[in-house]
Amino acid sequence: MKTLFFFLLLLIAADSLYATSGDSAFVSRQRRLLEILSREPLSLPALAGRFAAGRDLPGAVAAFDSMGRDRRFVGAFHGYALIGVYLRFRSILPDSLHRMVREIFRSRGLYRGDTENHWVMYYTGMYLAAQTWPHESGTEWFNGRSSEENFREAEGWLNHWITLSTTIGQGEFDSPTYMPVFLAPMLLLFDFAADPAMRTKAQMMCDLLLADFAVENLRGCYGGGHSRDYPPDIINPLIAQTTRVSWLYFGEPATEIWENPEYEPRVRSSWEIVWGALSGYHPPEMIVHIATDRSLPYVHRERKRVRNVIRFGDELNPPVYKYTYMTEDYVLGSLQGGILQPFQQHTWDVTYVSTRPYNTIFTVHPSWSSRELGMFFPEELNVLAEDVDRYKLVYTSPDKWNSSSPYEQTFQHNNVLIVLYNIAPGAKLPHIDGFFPKTLEQRTVDSTGWIFCRGGNAAIAIFPLKPYEWIEEEKNWRLRSHHLRNGLVVEVGSVRSTGDYAQFIRTMRQRRPEAGDFDRTMTVSYASIAGDVMTFTYDGPRILNGTAVDLTKTRFYDGPFMSSEVGSGVIELRYGGRVRVLDFQQGKVIER
Amino acid sequence: MLNVRVYLCVALFVLSAEIAAAQRETVYMAILSSFRPAQNPDAGPALGLFVSTDRGSTWQGRGWREYIRTFYCEEGSDGTIWSACGNGVLRSTDNGRRWRVTTGWEVTEVLKVKVAESDPSLVFASTAYGIFRTTDGGETWEKKTGGMRRGFSGDVCIDRADPSRILAATEEGVYLSEDRGEQWTERGLAGKGVRVIVQDPHDAKRFWLGTEEDGVYCSSDGGRHWERESRGLDRSAVYTIALHPRNHDWIYVGTYGRGVFQSTDGGGHWEERSRGLTDREVHSLVVLPSDPRVVLAGTLHRGLFRSTDGGGTWVHLTHDSSQVWGLSVRSTLSR
Repeated sequence: MKTLFFFLLLLIAADSLYATSGDSAFVSRQRRLLEILSREPLSLPALAGRFAAGRDLPGAVAAFDSMGRDRRFVGAFHGYALIGVYLRFRSILPDSLHRMVREIFRSRGLYRGDTENHWVMYYTGMYLAAQTWPHESGTEWFNGRSSEENFREAEGWLNHWITLSTTIGQGEFDSPTYMPVFLAPMLLLFDFAADPAMRTKAQMMCDLLLADFAVENLRGCYGGGHSRDYPPDIINPLIAQTTRVSWLYFGEPATEIWENPEYEPRVRSSWEIVWGALSGYHPPEMIVHIATDRSLPYVHRERKRVRNVIRFGDELNPPVYKYTYMTEDYVLGSLQGGILQPFQQHTWDVTYVSTRPYNTIFTVHPSWSSRELGMFFPEELNVLAEDVDRYKLVYTSPDKWNSSSPYEQTFQHNNVLIVLYNIAPGAKLPHIDGFFPKTLEQRTVDSTGWIFCRGGNAAIAIFPLKPYEWIEEEKNWRLRSHHLRNGLVVEVGSVRSTGDYAQFIRTMRQRRPEAGDFDRTMTVSYASIAGDVMTFTYDGPRILNGTAVDLTKTRFYDGPFMSSEVGSGVIELRYGGRVRVLDFQQGKVIER
Repeated sequence: MLNVRVYLCVALFVLSAEIAAAQRETVYMAILSSFRPAQNPDAGPALGLFVSTDRGSTWQGRGWREYIRTFYCEEGSDGTIWSACGNGVLRSTDNGRRWRVTTGWEVTEVLKVKVAESDPSLVFASTAYGIFRTTDGGETWEKKTGGMRRGFSGDVCIDRADPSRILAATEEGVYLSEDRGEQWTERGLAGKGVRVIVQDPHDAKRFWLGTEEDGVYCSSDGGRHWERESRGLDRSAVYTIALHPRNHDWIYVGTYGRGVFQSTDGGGHWEERSRGLTDREVHSLVVLPSDPRVVLAGTLHRGLFRSTDGGGTWVHLTHDSSQVWGLSVRSTLSR
């Protein structure tokens, strides 16, 4: 009888999570996600889904108990999720699980991690745990610090991170893999922080993280340059974790695309988005519009920062300049090039709307060096390459699709991009590679030197500056060129018909990049269909229509939907004549 | 008569305990990571801090059993154990049973922690973000990088003859402070990555350092000037240096990829001493003061090796498939 009552209580509590929800489409996706998760193999997020859906609750309780007893259950990813499940469902957990969760924070060494996302998760977990068990001495915590010390430390770092992220940007910016693990801790803080100021800041960070994604989101694809990305996600954008974020918050893609084998996520069990399904945070309607309204093309610029440079640099967080051109058919986006992140950088791509997978084209110089790793990691240089290769598998591969190269620079204006490579003699992997998916509707090499591709309604013209070869691979054609001084010009257009595409090709055939004496000058000049003349010299100026473009003047956010000055901590979101100001200086949201 | 016997027994027990304490020799081993996933985590820790009191024959886990990136551990003269970790600087005052993270979020990626021999409350931490110092046994820490162009530091060495003098291994050479870290002055090897600095146990004026890609250097004037001492070593990456406690000119170094080298003429010549060492990537070395024929070598892939003939031959001891990042020894016999 007692057991029956307990599980009845559990069901009622789970159902009551949604009693006050408003946005019906969003709420129905929240429910749907929990339903899906309740059937997934058990992990902490799936467990949360099972608790919330009220499915097999005795099994869920037993699974939680079992996970908690597993000593491998440690680290930043687990700590915050553990306290998240606990706080969400503690009223319905048996006493034994209360004791177990408390004991984990008492006796198990939780690793803080070594990346930005690790720290956000770790300190969110410690913040909420210290808040949950206040006034306890250091003997009651794994790290020997009292509740108050842990709380102050966590609060201090979270505020530090929020300030950095809202003045000079994130270091792990725009990552299709890691964006959800920045969002999830903020959702937990929004739901459970007792301090109203922290709750408000967390809500504002949720707004910012979603808006920051929304402006570069094209039907669920995170377009353009990224700080950290994995090759499978790079070549098939819709398998990224952010696609699930887009589905939940923006309703795009409209289907649960991850159920399609062609879009099977790289790590299917990464369901951090569960916290979005459980949270009381709902995205402002404005952000949903920003993510989905592609009725007019736009340019969005923003500034981010390099991950902490601990060696071989004089500046801890040099700037990253990002440029994105968005249309309803494609997004062309780029970082300025150079080493901005260790080993997982994705510098540029054109990603197009398509019913087929692998809907992206990009090039890369597959660079690697101990020195690059030494900029970001403390171990000895010889050790680093070996270690990263071991854990990330592809770092030293000549065929890898993610790379931060010191020999790559870009210049973008609207729908045109120039990419230049100046690979040092003696560099370990002296070639560049281009990814051209086999799913393109068309790919032709024209006698004029242009490569013409059609993907969905995007017409993509690429002019390699140096000879190259094609290598056929399972999913793609690989353009490989072995010339050290190298580059390409990319122009993209929208086409609605075969006739349009033919016209695009005819027009492009009339244009040719000027790259005379390129090996000496490393200079390219190109006049686009729109009539803009871009001249770019490697390590030299970027000149648009006779005027030098000064990247250092890039504002923090600059586009039709987002606006902010570097260092201000005040970010405006705009849509349809309305403005939502995220004022992190004052810790409040202002609607106009 | 019975009372006399009892008193005698008690006296003998106390005396033997004092002798044992006086001759205590403890080796600390920091295992950074293990390539072999823990099949049964409840069976015991696979990484972190391990302690041996029998010359490396057996080891007991003493720190957190979970992965927190334990780079190095060292015991101060007051018995406090310090641990340099990814989570910060950890301190234990009860022989490793309980630990306190003494640093906040500002201190991370701690590569070494060094305790002043004469003042166990004076501790320096070398980190990826600079050198930090505590003068109150870890209650408070201050960043101390005045005069340094960049912060990264892989090691510090506190001059045992004058603890106000500190040498720092940095990404841009060696720095010296003569005011307990307040201000630093570059003292050579500009532009070279220095990873390790040790003081000679026989001559307090003599220091040795190992570089990322330029072998070994020695200073005979307290760290003011440095000479390359790498004949036979060439430009090896030297990550660890151990000095023989009795023979003045015997030095061991651990290299990346070339195993262990020994010099018996004060660094004039180096000879490889790697027979039996099946992993040539040596990151840590200690020579035991109680018996200097015993040398322990921590490697990056195959755990811990031991030589009982001064480096002539090596036998694998423990923790295969693990990275033994740091070794240190606290021995009353060395004093």
